[in-house]
Amino acid sequence: MAKLLVACVNGAGTSLMMKMTVEKVAKELNLNVTKIHHCSLAEGKSTATQYDIVFCPQSFIHMYKDAIEKGVDVVGLRNVLSAAEVKQKLIESGLAEKYKK
Amino acid sequence: MLLRELAEKNRCKFVDSVESWEEAIRKSCEPLVAEGILDESYAEEIIDTVKRMGPYIVIVPGVAIPHCMENAGGAHGTAISFMKLETPVSFDDEDPDKSASIFFTLSSVNTQEHLKNMKQLFKMLTNEDLLAELMQVKCPEDLIRLDEKYM
Repeated sequence: MAKLLVACVNGAGTSLMMKMTVEKVAKELNLNVTKIHHCSLAEGKSTATQYDIVFCPQSFIHMYKDAIEKGVDVVGLRNVLSAAEVKQKLIESGLAEKYKK
Repeated sequence: MLLRELAEKNRCKFVDSVESWEEAIRKSCEPLVAEGILDESYAEEIIDTVKRMGPYIVIVPGVAIPHCMENAGGAHGTAISFMKLETPVSFDDEDPDKSASIFFTLSSVNTQEHLKNMKQLFKMLTNEDLLAELMQVKCPEDLIRLDEKYM
């Protein structure tokens, strides 16, 4: 079971788009997702460790250094609307296999 | 649906060129400012945030979605407005992917309504054929035509 977090600057525009992309891919890959929450980078920074996988735009991945050190899988995206990119990154990192239903 | 609404509610703007991305953001807010949905300060807040955080609002090459947080100061309604620039404007001279000619400006004070808007926008922005045609629109009638063709 995986709890997912998607975060971008405001938590209202880009993160919502990212959430829709991730939802689509989670379905396609048949992942066991119990929760997908979207929020701002600042909120995400303090709550990231409560999640299994965090998605954010590639350019903000440095903000999640602490979470990465604590074992959270953080996935940076170049194109937040690209289902192909999310899919590829989940498969290559082994996360798709790990959280399969 | 969304494209037709943008045309019918006059929430669209067609501009030849701008001097800077800052000017583009101010102009993209104008239809909603005219309706009283946004204050002029909203554009300035977006500009400040982009200066601090980088051009993350260019969500795919060619398309920007200027927005602030939900219930941001200066926002009084939930709406989207559209702007097309004939000449794209650069947000980052070192990254050609961070240029935009299409702007969907977002305002939100109501989560449910906003989510409905964003679902429609997501559907549009992930449709490559529609996006390619959207890059060519020149007038509100073009938006209605695309709405009928794709939505």
